Amino acid sequence: MTIFAAVAAAVVAAVAVEIAVPGRDAYHAGWFNVGLIALVVVVAVLARSQLTRSSSQRARAGVVAIALGAAIAGLAGAASGLLAPENRTIVGAPGQRVRVDDLGGSLVFPPADAEVAGSSSSGDVVLERTNRRSLAIGERGRNTGSFVLRAIPREVAYVDARDARGGGLTVTQPSGSSFLSPVLLMQQRQTIAGLNVPFDSFAVPAAHRLVKAVLFSAQEADMMRAIQGGSGPAVLFAVDDENDRPLRNAIAAVRTGANVGVGGLLLRAVVFSYPAVDVVAVPSLAAAVAGALLVFGGLIAKGADRNAAGS
Amino acid sequence: MRIVWLVVALAGAVAVIAIVAPFFVPASTRPAGPAGLAGEPAPVFPLHDASGAPVSIARYGGKVVVLNLWGTWCPPCRAEMPELQKLADAYGARGVVVLGVNQGESAQRARAFARSLQIRFPIWLDDRQQYGRAFTALGLPTTVVVGRNGVIVRGFDGALTFEQMQAAIAGAVSAR
Repeated sequence: MTIFAAVAAAVVAAVAVEIAVPGRDAYHAGWFNVGLIALVVVVAVLARSQLTRSSSQRARAGVVAIALGAAIAGLAGAASGLLAPENRTIVGAPGQRVRVDDLGGSLVFPPADAEVAGSSSSGDVVLERTNRRSLAIGERGRNTGSFVLRAIPREVAYVDARDARGGGLTVTQPSGSSFLSPVLLMQQRQTIAGLNVPFDSFAVPAAHRLVKAVLFSAQEADMMRAIQGGSGPAVLFAVDDENDRPLRNAIAAVRTGANVGVGGLLLRAVVFSYPAVDVVAVPSLAAAVAGALLVFGGLIAKGADRNAAGS
Repeated sequence: MRIVWLVVALAGAVAVIAIVAPFFVPASTRPAGPAGLAGEPAPVFPLHDASGAPVSIARYGGKVVVLNLWGTWCPPCRAEMPELQKLADAYGARGVVVLGVNQGESAQRARAFARSLQIRFPIWLDDRQQYGRAFTALGLPTTVVVGRNGVIVRGFDGALTFEQMQAAIAGAVSAR
């Protein structure tokens, strides 16, 4: 293999690695992309000298195919590294439809409520795009062309608020991603007693209450003296009045699924696993495949020409 | 030979555009909240009415459905209820159905509220607040107009007057 072919193959290999092992910070780093472009420039320079040395039409076509293939693959890699948005995680409420412009569609989060919360699976997030097939997104990841989407399970809590007589009350999340959702997505974190734990908040407007809910894993809950009996994760509720003033005896922690009376409310939280979606930019799959095929085809053409010249 | 280079250059240009274009998608102009729902099929959730009977909007195929999400604790909902009743009375004979879908509260609370305002249109209970989530409600009340074909025509955040409701359903009522 000549240096020319080796450098072209290296460009294709680098882009293939970006697709096969997506999401590394290095792909967005300047040195990586400058290196990729430098390799493409080297391929172009070497191609020029190869063209002047090639006598047959087939050999010249092979050189052009290799150079073009490396350029396409390299451009796909550099465009993804330099132009694509940073990796991000999209968290949605059950039943919510989140428009993601660079995916050309919406992520539809599966419905989940008290019953689903008790089961092992809450369903897949689906990417719906106009005039294109919908894609269910699992934990193994789906390549949508320029992005890889992967479901990431997260712990969330379904809360149920009742009045002293057991009558249901509306749960709202004025600062959440879905105003009328009883599912707390636990996107914020704070440190309590040395534990960095997720928390969220909700309102119960009919009772004029604001509630902060802090989530503890099963292991963390087992270490807490305030949580006695039961097993599994726990939620600590801290209830304030609607003006954010703390109330007396308005802090309590309970295991998932258990009821607790606190701050004039009867509260219950069911902790369950619910998917968020990791969106990771990758080089265009079509461009990478086209580039690889051109390089491969060019190598075959050059090899065939060499064999013909030798015989 | 010149044609070959032209083809190569053209292929390169197409490749550049195809590779770079996905990263320059214009931002969606669709408004946030229920106003952005127009054109989407209305979700159908099995619910119960205030007396405990199972209900669903699926039974209103061919009619214009005005789904109003509300809560007893919401003052604008209280103000809007009589306007909705007026709409139900005025347009019931023309195939318009008004449904009040309470978000997350008990039947007792919802019934007492409807009785105090002399509401006669159906009151449904969405105890899991499924419509609130699906309609991306920004607050209460939220009103969504579903056309005769089951597709959402308009979505509104906040209380509407009778005149605004009339304007909102006009197109859907005249459509066949």
